Amino acid sequence: METNEYKGARILLVEDEETLANGLEFNLTDEGYVIEWAKDGRQALDFFNSRPYDLILLDIMLPYYDGFEIAKKVREVSPQMPILMLTARTSVQDKIKGLEQGADDYMTKPFHLAELLLRIKGMLKRKLWYKESSELLPKFSFGNNIINFENLSCTAGSRKFNLTQREAMVMKYFIEKKGKIVSRKELLENVWHTNPDIETRTVDIFISHLRKYFEPDPDNPVFIVSIRNAGYLFNDESGG
Amino acid sequence: MKKYPPQLFVILAFILAQFAWLGLLGAWIYYYASNYIIFKQVGNKVSPQLAFESPNVGVFVVGIIIIAGIAVSMFLVFRNLFVQRKLTGLYDNFIANITHELKSPLSSIQLYLETLSSKNIPPDKQKEFYAIMAKDTSRLHKLINSILEISRIEQKKVAHSYHIYSADIFYKIVETSAKNFRLPPGTLNIQGTFSGKCVIDKEAMQIVFDNLTDNAVKYSVGSTNILVKLKNTDKKIIIEFSDNGIGIGLKDQKKVFNKFHRVYNKNIPNVKGTGLGLYWVKEIIKFHGGKVSLKSDGPAKGTSFFIELPIYKTSKKLYINSLLRATAKKERFMEATDGD
Repeated sequence: METNEYKGARILLVEDEETLANGLEFNLTDEGYVIEWAKDGRQALDFFNSRPYDLILLDIMLPYYDGFEIAKKVREVSPQMPILMLTARTSVQDKIKGLEQGADDYMTKPFHLAELLLRIKGMLKRKLWYKESSELLPKFSFGNNIINFENLSCTAGSRKFNLTQREAMVMKYFIEKKGKIVSRKELLENVWHTNPDIETRTVDIFISHLRKYFEPDPDNPVFIVSIRNAGYLFNDESGG
Repeated sequence: MKKYPPQLFVILAFILAQFAWLGLLGAWIYYYASNYIIFKQVGNKVSPQLAFESPNVGVFVVGIIIIAGIAVSMFLVFRNLFVQRKLTGLYDNFIANITHELKSPLSSIQLYLETLSSKNIPPDKQKEFYAIMAKDTSRLHKLINSILEISRIEQKKVAHSYHIYSADIFYKIVETSAKNFRLPPGTLNIQGTFSGKCVIDKEAMQIVFDNLTDNAVKYSVGSTNILVKLKNTDKKIIIEFSDNGIGIGLKDQKKVFNKFHRVYNKNIPNVKGTGLGLYWVKEIIKFHGGKVSLKSDGPAKGTSFFIELPIYKTSKKLYINSLLRATAKKERFMEATDGD
């Protein structure tokens, strides 16, 4: 078995189906992660509030608190926590809701083990990349906007808000590739670390969020511009 | 909600329809009144009595009745439409729940299969995995059966087999439910007695108590306690079925008997269900000529269901006899077809 460079990463597994949870726990432990299993929403929040984790694997339909509520509560405290939603609900509305409440990624049941493991690895990898590159560039400003990549706080004119980790990653990637066209495929590969054949919609949802945050007029973006059939182009000067 | 924009369209159509029929009514009255005035003026000149015996009054009334008829049928159509829409929304919810329940064991099986095929698993662990997969498979089987059950019960509501039983039959039914759900001894307590005979469909009544027991187990934190109190008045037998569960909030008390209604609440430990159980309870009891109601003092205070059934030959004679006759007819038919 290949060695996993993220061995020892602490994962909070929130899943009310015992057999599924046991199977996941076995596999993730086998990959070298440290797993703690919460079997309902209440326990998940208890665990989250008392111990540090590197990633949360979250079911949606849960007793007491559902996955959406948990994601929201986690986001309030820890904007950088990677959250992967794992759920049987497949509707687009659910997907959008999950991503809006702060999940970074969304997988539907039944899922493929190999894909799940890759996504988890990708999320952990991004988390590390983000941490390293934030040390090099803790703050970035464009237009009226300032992003603080260390605590994810932003100001856009007089508005103040927080980005999720994934949103910050997308911005960071754009900034690194400033002035160059970034395709959806590239974003999925480098920020989501997933198979680019799927889920290009996810990218669009994130971009529309970012535009709402940073663009003076989200319908006529000046910073994150769509390039037809190619992807997006980030400029740090409006009207450039 | 963004989810149902066509609702707005229906409301608009409804308002338009109101204008249309009111306009038609107004036009008709205007038409009649203006003609009547002309008629009266002309008639007065010819013969003063003619105006009162005018045959137009009948035409006028019939016209009004027809317009009112259109309005009423329009109202009924719209009402039906609204009910259908609401049911569709709830049905979507039901489908989502069922899909969720089917996908969980399925993803578990897939996970174990992929684990077994992609990793070197020691033999004892392999055995454990196979056992888990077998467990998930049987869960899947049970789920599929219970989905098939839905249509069976839906039919059962109508195609009953009613017989006369002594009221004691309820001891047996309640105890069978306890057995079906493997309640530990001491969980179920039956108090009181009742006398008299009642006409029930045993199988349907079993569904009622299975559902109540299932709910008591699902919606209680820690150990479940069920108390069944039996009593009767001259005309009916009363069964009180109480649990120590999480109770039902005031807002939901009326709605829980509705088809596909499910209570969503942070204090609810179990999220699995179809929203059909109590609907069936209500329908089955209704078909027995009885009534079901519930009382809960709110969250964490438990729930009591009250089931009232008519005693044979003392109340609702006509209805109960019709049930018995229908059953006898059905059984004769079955015998005849069996004999062939």
